[in-house]
Amino acid sequence: MRTKVTTLSLMAVGVLVLSIPLFAHHGSAVFDTEKTVTVKGAVTEWVWANPHCWLLVDAKDDDGNTVHWIIENQAPANIANAGWSRSMFKPGDEVLVDVTPGKNLATAARTIGRFKGRVVINGKVFKP
Amino acid sequence: MSKPFLIATIASLVALSSSPILCAQATTATQSSVERSEKWNNDPFGGQARTGGCAPGFPCANPSFYGGKKEPPPRRDLSGIWDATAGGGVQASGSAEYPASYPPQDPRPRAEEPDEQGIINPVPYTALGEAALKTNKPSGTSIRSVPSVLANDPVDICDPVGFPYMENFQFLTIELTQTKNQVIYLGQFEHEWRIIWTDGRELPKDPEPRWNGYSVGRWTDDYTFVVQTVGMNEKSWIDHAGRPHSKDLRVTEIFHLLDHDTMEHTEIIDDPKMYTVPWMAHNKLILHRESPDFDIREMFCSPSETRAYNELVGDPINPESK
Repeated sequence: MRTKVTTLSLMAVGVLVLSIPLFAHHGSAVFDTEKTVTVKGAVTEWVWANPHCWLLVDAKDDDGNTVHWIIENQAPANIANAGWSRSMFKPGDEVLVDVTPGKNLATAARTIGRFKGRVVINGKVFKP
Repeated sequence: MSKPFLIATIASLVALSSSPILCAQATTATQSSVERSEKWNNDPFGGQARTGGCAPGFPCANPSFYGGKKEPPPRRDLSGIWDATAGGGVQASGSAEYPASYPPQDPRPRAEEPDEQGIINPVPYTALGEAALKTNKPSGTSIRSVPSVLANDPVDICDPVGFPYMENFQFLTIELTQTKNQVIYLGQFEHEWRIIWTDGRELPKDPEPRWNGYSVGRWTDDYTFVVQTVGMNEKSWIDHAGRPHSKDLRVTEIFHLLDHDTMEHTEIIDDPKMYTVPWMAHNKLILHRESPDFDIREMFCSPSETRAYNELVGDPINPESK
């Protein structure tokens, strides 16, 4: 009964709405939505807060230098419904995250992107 | 009743109370403290998944819709906790019926466009409305969106959301309560609340402008509640695409209960200064009833948290910053 209601309500939502990304604040203005960067490294902090949650990851670039990534997501109220939680990342966790990079990645003071989809935590794929 | 019969009745009740059926009911009534704490909307995967509505495109672990009861709703009663997320409540590109978006195949960029030419459902602006639109610089995902540090959306700096913006962006979970002379609306997004008067008063003629305006409501039948709102100040926007309004804006809402657990929300924007004709921001947007014990996750706009975010992410990611 419950599943049926959900299925019907998801079906009732048109393609139009499904194609619209949920991210507030930035949207396409500052992110290079055509690109994907895969960030691999260790979590230093996971901040679960309004207006955005963000994950700090120390990754290694091709030359072996540490790159400090900031990967943002929406507010807790938006993503908790999809299974995200404040305890899902711990400092030291090894993660692999697909990221939409910021447009000014080369010149920005910080390396910033936003969660794109795939998240792997300590070898386990995060499935909402 | 004779004494033997009474004793027999009591004896059989005692026997019945130790039966498996009644024991099971007794266990449910006295939940363990672990189960009671899982009613809080924290870490849904940590325990029972008390998730709310499910956002389009995001599958739900465990939707907590009340059960989709198809029985008739209570008469003249909107009370309850209602989820609008699955009905498309996030509205990051503008009001549900009028997203400021291009059709999917359109190759134009999705940001920093000067106007709304070519969007899926054009808004009927007057010349004044079009000019006012252009002074509003939205963040978000509408085609006119700019980097958030360049935006001037009052909501971005933790100003009050105002009405009807509170229904046209992050319309996630609301709680409605009825008293003898009011419907009290509690909105999750930025913790906004407003009062809808049901005591038959008329709308004020020359109202002192307010962020949320002045609302009166009445039942037109047992399952349809109609609300009128006037007196909204000109600082507030209509939606996350920066649609403007004048102080002459009048908003009509129709809350219509379809069944016990389903409600439609229709919202009509009427502002002849800005729009040539009234338009529907919501057209029967569906709200689902949540379980009465559902805990609504807090969502405050905290200036200090916003500042911290802007310093770390929001400002540096602006392409114009070095």
